[in-house]
Amino acid sequence: MERRSFIKSLVAVSTVAVATPIMAKEEAKEAPKKSDTKGPNDMPFDVALKAIAGDKEVKESDKVKLSVPEIAENGAVVPVKVEVDSPMTEKEYVKAIHILNTKNSNARCADVMLTPANAKGYFATRVKLAQTQEVVAVVELSDGTFMKKGKSIKVTIGGCG
Amino acid sequence: MAERKAMIKIKPKKYKVGDTVKVDFVVIHPMDTGMATDKETKKVIPAHYINEVTFSFDGEPFTKMTIWESVSKNPYFSVNYKVTKKGKITVDFTDNLGEKGSKSKKLKPKG
Repeated sequence: MERRSFIKSLVAVSTVAVATPIMAKEEAKEAPKKSDTKGPNDMPFDVALKAIAGDKEVKESDKVKLSVPEIAENGAVVPVKVEVDSPMTEKEYVKAIHILNTKNSNARCADVMLTPANAKGYFATRVKLAQTQEVVAVVELSDGTFMKKGKSIKVTIGGCG
Repeated sequence: MAERKAMIKIKPKKYKVGDTVKVDFVVIHPMDTGMATDKETKKVIPAHYINEVTFSFDGEPFTKMTIWESVSKNPYFSVNYKVTKKGKITVDFTDNLGEKGSKSKKLKPKG
């Protein structure tokens, strides 16, 4: 009897020993999924663009100058500069500059409401990019028209967690 | 919590009435997205980011921003402003947890 129980326990131990690494592997597989958990306010690019411009047409325009690096070694700090060719008078000025990205979980980076007191349609900031993607500047003019300009950025190391 | 460190810089340093200056604003803030995990505790760091920034001159706002978590840590914002008279530029910011802060700088045009 003693031998029988000893063998039983041996079998039990070995199964546990085999089972645990498998379990550990499964957990390891699940762990990166957790870091993919979506942020607090997720918004795909199309939805974000619709939230800004509504049903209006957003045209590509050369009036918008978007300065971004071609390759960003560190996705956590990507400088973005937007300049808009506009007289900035009471009648005609840049009402808003929106900075969007195409593949972060939240496509919106910053919405800037300008006034004629700014004298120039200019805005600069630094953004985080999770992967190689496009940064798009959407500009709203005081007459209600929208313009956009996009540039793709190669990101070597992602910057969102 | 202690007040956050913030800084306003006016560029160029010397300017006259009628000149357009660059107003740079930097604030020390973690800008957590709510997606990253802490490497030691393996817990998700809750979202904590600035969501509103207002630039004003003598109490009159001239630029309002809505900021999302995709902006980098220790955020930097730069806009232009046309100097019309002596006064004070104030930048107010609020984050998603309701924390507020403000920073001012005097505008002294020469000539």
